[in-house]
Amino acid sequence: MKPPVLRCRHVAKRYGNFTALRDLSLEVYEGEIFALLGPNGAGKSTLIHCITGLAKQSEGSIEVLGFDTLADFRTTRRLVGLVPQEINYDPFFTPIESLMIQMGLMGVRPNRDRAESLLKTFALDEKRDAYTRTLSGGMKRRLLVAKALVHEPRLLFLDEPTAGVDVELRRELWHEVEDLRSAGTTIVLTTHYIEEAEKLADRIGILHKGELLLVESRESLLDRHGGRSLEDIYLELIRKADGRHAA
Amino acid sequence: MSTIALRTLFLKEIRRFSKVWLQTVLSPLVTTSLYFLVFGVALGSRLREISGVPYIQFVVPGLVMMTMVRDAFLNTSSSLFQSKINGTITDLLVAPIGAFEMLLAYVGAAMLRAFIVGVLVYVVALTFTYFPLHHVGWTLFFAFFVTATLALLGMVAALWAQKFDHLAIFPNFVLLPLAFLGGVFYSIDLLPEPWHTVSLFNPLLYMVNGLRYGFLGVADVTPEASAGVVLLSFGLLLAVASALLRSGYSLRS
Repeated sequence: MKPPVLRCRHVAKRYGNFTALRDLSLEVYEGEIFALLGPNGAGKSTLIHCITGLAKQSEGSIEVLGFDTLADFRTTRRLVGLVPQEINYDPFFTPIESLMIQMGLMGVRPNRDRAESLLKTFALDEKRDAYTRTLSGGMKRRLLVAKALVHEPRLLFLDEPTAGVDVELRRELWHEVEDLRSAGTTIVLTTHYIEEAEKLADRIGILHKGELLLVESRESLLDRHGGRSLEDIYLELIRKADGRHAA
Repeated sequence: MSTIALRTLFLKEIRRFSKVWLQTVLSPLVTTSLYFLVFGVALGSRLREISGVPYIQFVVPGLVMMTMVRDAFLNTSSSLFQSKINGTITDLLVAPIGAFEMLLAYVGAAMLRAFIVGVLVYVVALTFTYFPLHHVGWTLFFAFFVTATLALLGMVAALWAQKFDHLAIFPNFVLLPLAFLGGVFYSIDLLPEPWHTVSLFNPLLYMVNGLRYGFLGVADVTPEASAGVVLLSFGLLLAVASALLRSGYSLRS
């Protein structure tokens, strides 16, 4: 097995008395698509935030390709890309400007050809000079993905990229994800559409109330449960975990 | 340190205020020019000299400083706070940029905007009353450190503020009254006690009078005393802003 691109060891995250993540250990390997599933508030975004630098874990360590995300943050952030859950855009800039700026912020010399190519890939080339605020929701979402790719990250996080997105765009996005994986990018995604994870992911992790209930390859998980759908397996696990917490 | 990231953030901030130059450059220029016309030209012709200089010249450095203080503060505070509110701060937080580069880029761009507006106000003033700068060194010293100090205050305010109302407290209820009471339009020697002594506790007084000394060679306090207060304010705000950025206060959870 290839060495892990991402290694989380005993990660905990607390906000005052609330524990968002508890003793979480996880490894993600090069070139795989890892789907992180869990109900709202399970800690999926918190974990992604700790890895990408939007939050700092209370305990434990996180490494990206062997570099610690706190001690070597400049190196790990160059290796990681994030498509955040919430759509955001800078009203002052156009898509082409946004991409050029993001390249520079990521420490890469701004390259217009690369920016143009990303706009074309995400069907934004016709809107390259429009103010970002005038783009449709789907276009803004695609621009977020393009921005996350400007520095060619080795590890890409997609935090519910299809939330509130129409079927056509969802399909387009998942095609892009598969293309990226083919190009060697490791992908960690969260989604509430379990059937999408079943179709795309190589391995699946289920997170519930800050604890990792399961990490397993999709094939073995489905085989072990005798042909049941991933959604059924997921719901059963969550119900069992809720029962344990209630007891 | 990533010089590409630093340069990009600095240029991004310049482009941000350049894109809305009517609001960020022209508007303060017009407002301050109106102050100059009313207090300097219209009323100034009826007033006697203050500290041995014509009133029309006396108000110029105060107005230049008031504009620079306001613009330096507004540039960092509005930019950083808007990024926090619209979520684009994420672009910065996931980037390999340290607290020092962030601080340098934001403060540098704010200082540039304040310098541009300050110079334009001075040029407008020169069309009404010509006078050479008395001491270029002190002028540049105060322009540099005061704008840097106020840009740092803008960053601290943006990090602290949770809503637009919080942010509005500083320019409207702190900076404007302190600037007006800091001798922009008068010498504190004209004030009776205890107001003369009370005025000496206003840091804006030292900023205004520092620049006034550089421009005209007259001031209510010595340039050394002004420099001391300005450097102390700068050091204090640099320490606070750096500590807040390093800790990720209100940015990273």
